[in-house]
Amino acid sequence: MEPALREGDWILVLPPRRTPREGEVVVVRDPRERSRLLLKRVASVTGDGCAVIGDRAEHSTDSRHFGPVPYADIVGRAAFRYAPLRRIGPLRRG
Amino acid sequence: MLGRLLKPTTIAHAHCDIPCGIYDPTPAKIAADTVAKMVEKITALPADASDFAARNSFVRMVAVKEEHAQICKKELEILWTDYFKPEHLEKFPKLHETFWKATKLCSKNKQSVDAQAASDLQAAVKEISDMFWASKK
Repeated sequence: MEPALREGDWILVLPPRRTPREGEVVVVRDPRERSRLLLKRVASVTGDGCAVIGDRAEHSTDSRHFGPVPYADIVGRAAFRYAPLRRIGPLRRG
Repeated sequence: MLGRLLKPTTIAHAHCDIPCGIYDPTPAKIAADTVAKMVEKITALPADASDFAARNSFVRMVAVKEEHAQICKKELEILWTDYFKPEHLEKFPKLHETFWKATKLCSKNKQSVDAQAASDLQAAVKEISDMFWASKK
């Protein structure tokens, strides 16, 4: 997900209160290993879930591989980076 | 204190082919050492041996040298393009030059049977390995 997100970034994640929108960064359960959480960008929204794709598509395993993620597996929307200090700021829609 | 309070309690992965942060210069070193060993073995072969067994050994050594020079190049490229970040350039101003030289030496070791080129590659990989471990401090 670089350069939007880097290893070690501290992120505020808001619980989903509405349907995610295209371009937002979301935290989803990895369908292959549900205890593992993934940060991906919403590529498209369907009736029962959304397709997510990593920003570095060539290095990312995402909905192209495991299919759309059901709404129940969307943990929240990554809204704000609060550390490191010099990278503080909202996570914008891409 | 505040830092501890704000520290996230949950980890999410943003790069999931490989769990983040698994980078190591060791595979490049092993590949460079293999190339050097093959050059040493090839040059130690009797020059006039022409039986099938000797030709088979020769071809296999060249094939292994070729393969490991390619592995070395790939491993170096992973470190160069994925691990090292722009901020590392401040600490290691010769980073790009060192990687460029090292990856070119991988190609040179494919093209030739050259003990000097093999040892230059080992030295270049060592230099990169030193930068890698220094960047972790």
